[in-house]
Amino acid sequence: MTPRLEADDISVFDSDGARLLEPVSIRLEPGRPLVVLGETGSGKSLLSQALTGALPRGLKARGRICLGDTVLDAARPADHRRLWGREIAVLPQEPWLSLDPLMRAQQQVSESHSLVRGLGRLRAEQAANRDLAALGLAGAARRYPHQLSGGMAQRVAFAAARAGGARILIADEPTKGLDAERRDEVAALLLQEVAAGGSLMVVTHDLDLAQRLGGEVLVIRQGALVERGRSAVIFELPHQDYTRRLLAADPRRWATTSPAQTGTETLLEVQDLSLSRGGRSLIEGLSLRVGAGEIVGITGPSGCGKSSLGDVLLGLHGPDSGRVERSVARPHAYQKLFQDPPSAFPRTLPLGTALRDLVRRHRLDAARVAPLMQRLRLRPDLLERRPGEVSGGELQRLALLRVMLLEPVFLFADEPTSRLDPITQQEVIGLLRELACQGCAVLIVSHDPELIARTVHRSIALTGGNGAGPDDRSHAGLAAAFG
Amino acid sequence: MTDRLSRTTGRRGSRRVGALLVLAVVLFAWLAPWLAPGDPYGQSLLKALGAPDAAAPFGYDHLGRSMIQRLAAALQLSLLIAGVAVVAAACLGVALGVLAAARGGWVDRALVLVSDSLLALPGLLLVLILSALIPPRPLAFGAGLTLVLWIEFFRLTRATCRSLLASPGVQASRLLGFGRLYLFRRHLWPEIAQLLLTTAAFGAATGVMTIAALGFVSVGMQAPTPELGLMMVELMPYWREAPLTLLQPVIAIFLTLLGLNLMAGGRQA
Repeated sequence: MTPRLEADDISVFDSDGARLLEPVSIRLEPGRPLVVLGETGSGKSLLSQALTGALPRGLKARGRICLGDTVLDAARPADHRRLWGREIAVLPQEPWLSLDPLMRAQQQVSESHSLVRGLGRLRAEQAANRDLAALGLAGAARRYPHQLSGGMAQRVAFAAARAGGARILIADEPTKGLDAERRDEVAALLLQEVAAGGSLMVVTHDLDLAQRLGGEVLVIRQGALVERGRSAVIFELPHQDYTRRLLAADPRRWATTSPAQTGTETLLEVQDLSLSRGGRSLIEGLSLRVGAGEIVGITGPSGCGKSSLGDVLLGLHGPDSGRVERSVARPHAYQKLFQDPPSAFPRTLPLGTALRDLVRRHRLDAARVAPLMQRLRLRPDLLERRPGEVSGGELQRLALLRVMLLEPVFLFADEPTSRLDPITQQEVIGLLRELACQGCAVLIVSHDPELIARTVHRSIALTGGNGAGPDDRSHAGLAAAFG
Repeated sequence: MTDRLSRTTGRRGSRRVGALLVLAVVLFAWLAPWLAPGDPYGQSLLKALGAPDAAAPFGYDHLGRSMIQRLAAALQLSLLIAGVAVVAAACLGVALGVLAAARGGWVDRALVLVSDSLLALPGLLLVLILSALIPPRPLAFGAGLTLVLWIEFFRLTRATCRSLLASPGVQASRLLGFGRLYLFRRHLWPEIAQLLLTTAAFGAATGVMTIAALGFVSVGMQAPTPELGLMMVELMPYWREAPLTLLQPVIAIFLTLLGLNLMAGGRQA
């Protein structure tokens, strides 16, 4: 029997006593998922960390947590420790980072069995194999994390978290950085857990996942509860303005991009391009013409060569065979937007210095920066901070600004919004559309079919090797395919 | 985030203590000869193993030489050799590390082969071989230590730069039209610099230790040169009569190594 978890008036304070999370009460029941929705930095992760007693040092929680007959004080996180693994399991974000890189999948799981449940080595290994087989990972038991795909790593992390026998599962952004297919897998995994009578709390900004899980939804913004209610009700009839905006930012509700002008100047032409990485053929015989103002989507499973294609189009690597012709000879006119904005800037450098370096390098007009900042809704004080101290959304807009200073004719956007929350994602995509309207060609790589269907003029689906060539379908056909 | 912050401040505290200790040792080495003038080589057998007096605040050794003078001279020698060797090793190691990471291919493989082969030789042996080749001892020790120490700098720099050069940040800067010098100045150097202090402090500690160890087994500096290891072995027979005199070089080397190791940040979690 799974005990229900009740938490009353959980609030979180920083070391100066400032309140980061207003008091929230929640109830976790078997078979009824609880979804905490909110944008990045809204404090939604603080709630799950306060519940598990895993707040970063310096932060303090207050409130009372009842788990069956056990009563815990949120202010004394040390008491939570003995519940970890046995009662409460935490499914970490970014599974690749949370698995031990030097341990095989089976070991990661059997370790939980032997250390948390106290099974002998052989029985722990058997149990681990059973768990992995149940999750469809029987063939991957001997693999190391770097040999696993994102979805597989997530399942291994899930098996390891669950191995201790805990029936209350807390998942923090379980779909972050995963492509559409893997996201479906994670959702199915979580639903399966709920159907089996487990309790589930998911912290996410993934609206699709939230809707699929159902149950109860809490919307959190700037550390305060905005709205709560049954999932169906919230998604159908949100009461609060913010919730409405949040839901409207779901790509499924976007308006489609107006069609591009045809017969414009060709900016990039690819003929019969083939590409392989590490002996594996990724792309064969791709031909493509991109004109000014066009938005082209690139879809495909992770590891199918989307980023490698970008490198070749931008001239960072040569193709194995075929021809890439960039018609504009002006240097630095072909640019790129990166998936993980913080890593796209020099880590130790204040952002303003990085921008000044760029202005000086190309003898640009420094006066152009301020109006651009305003247009991209970036506050001037951001420039004094370092990349790690600015939110992903702001950094991505800053990366866009950096690129726009060079007046690019072609932009390769490699999963530019996969780490951003829906509202920020909508903004960034909006900016890319604006850029396209000014005549820049934009290639958007995304794992989100809804986003692609509504943003691009046409899209290319890469299948990733095995000779299956990419097909160049029209946008309408693709939208139909995704129905 | 905050977790890392508090750990950093704790580490910073112990680093500061280490730096102060090293500073104190350096000040002693260079100021003591001024405060108590004398000659580290000047013998006066009448005062052998004598108690401290106004002219020699730390007493006299078995040949009646002023201990404070000899300690200061010995520390100067060790610190100078170690310091010069560390600086030379850092320059060499960082330069080659960046080169290996940036070039890759056979340049990288060749440099790694050289560093790995050197690593397979015991450091002490390497220093000894060089001191057989180069007659002046301090020069030989400096060169030998450089040859031992550059490997650590090289490996660290190469590893750091390899991952940095493959990062989106460097790719972005390249696309934006920045050259190699910029990549080094803004991307590589800030990350390398953070590692340098730790590696340099460990390197200096290794240097001081090596010189003393070789002196102690009588294959390092030769008498009458004041050197900490040599002083220990010379004073060893008189441990019963003058235990405090024997302890002095021990304490000096202990404080130097403690300071350097604290400065290196200790073992990082």
